[in-house]
Amino acid sequence: MLRLGPMHGAVVVVALPLFEEANRTRAAAIDVLRRLAERGIGGALPDLPGTGESLIETRDATLADWRDAFADAAASLGTPAFAMSWRGGALVDNDARLAGRWHLAPLSGTDQRRELDRLRKLGGDADYAGNLLSPALLDQLAAAEPLTGARVKVARLEGDPRPADVLLSGRSLWRASEPAVDPALQEVIATDLANWIAICAG
Amino acid sequence: MKREGHDDIEQTVRGVLRDALGLPEAQVAAFTADTPLFGALPELDSMAVAGVLTELEDRLGITIDDDDVDGDMLETFGALTRFAAGKVRA
Repeated sequence: MLRLGPMHGAVVVVALPLFEEANRTRAAAIDVLRRLAERGIGGALPDLPGTGESLIETRDATLADWRDAFADAAASLGTPAFAMSWRGGALVDNDARLAGRWHLAPLSGTDQRRELDRLRKLGGDADYAGNLLSPALLDQLAAAEPLTGARVKVARLEGDPRPADVLLSGRSLWRASEPAVDPALQEVIATDLANWIAICAG
Repeated sequence: MKREGHDDIEQTVRGVLRDALGLPEAQVAAFTADTPLFGALPELDSMAVAGVLTELEDRLGITIDDDDVDGDMLETFGALTRFAAGKVRA
């Protein structure tokens, strides 16, 4: 698990977008953690089973495993822990004991599943853009929803018409065909998240 | 949701192509109705098409049936904008 910033006090645990979108956004998310570290806030980026450095095959991963792994990672870091979950990552932080959740452009499991089905169809029905996914994962995704409530803040990019607590100006990095960064967006994310943490702690 | 004019839709399509394909702002700003897309932009592979369609749905509040997707609607910037505008009015 990648760690940045101070090892004591508030810590932000990252749930990246799912599948290919994780590769596109990893650098941007780590840059946000660096900016949080400059503000005295710790950061952690766990590798979920079947992703990153994990030894589990993607085809064996399930959403339940991801939620357990994320909850375990958060619990190992001390308190208070906050989730920063982008896109489908907002379906992964549900079971963790957290002081707050900050979601960027979260989507429902139904929408995530629909995007996967579209990728499969446009890719010739062979796999999901290079990923073999288990029926269990696909079924769990279809029924999943991000948590909502007072300790959840929803941020979206300007132009996204869905409900949000705050609109941020920037590019939808998870769409870019190559990994991309948007330093201005990463700065406003770090600022908004640091303010949210201060509010939750207060 | 407000009724969007053709210019608004065209700007949204530009923004989607910029973000989904990672194209420079100057390149998408120079797109005209005749600018070729599918087959002409190396960035526009089948995975990228999926991202373009989903972003158009999100930003325009429309639903695109994958069966409606063919080479014609992706051939030029003008064709894609007309396709999107037709869905907004539908």
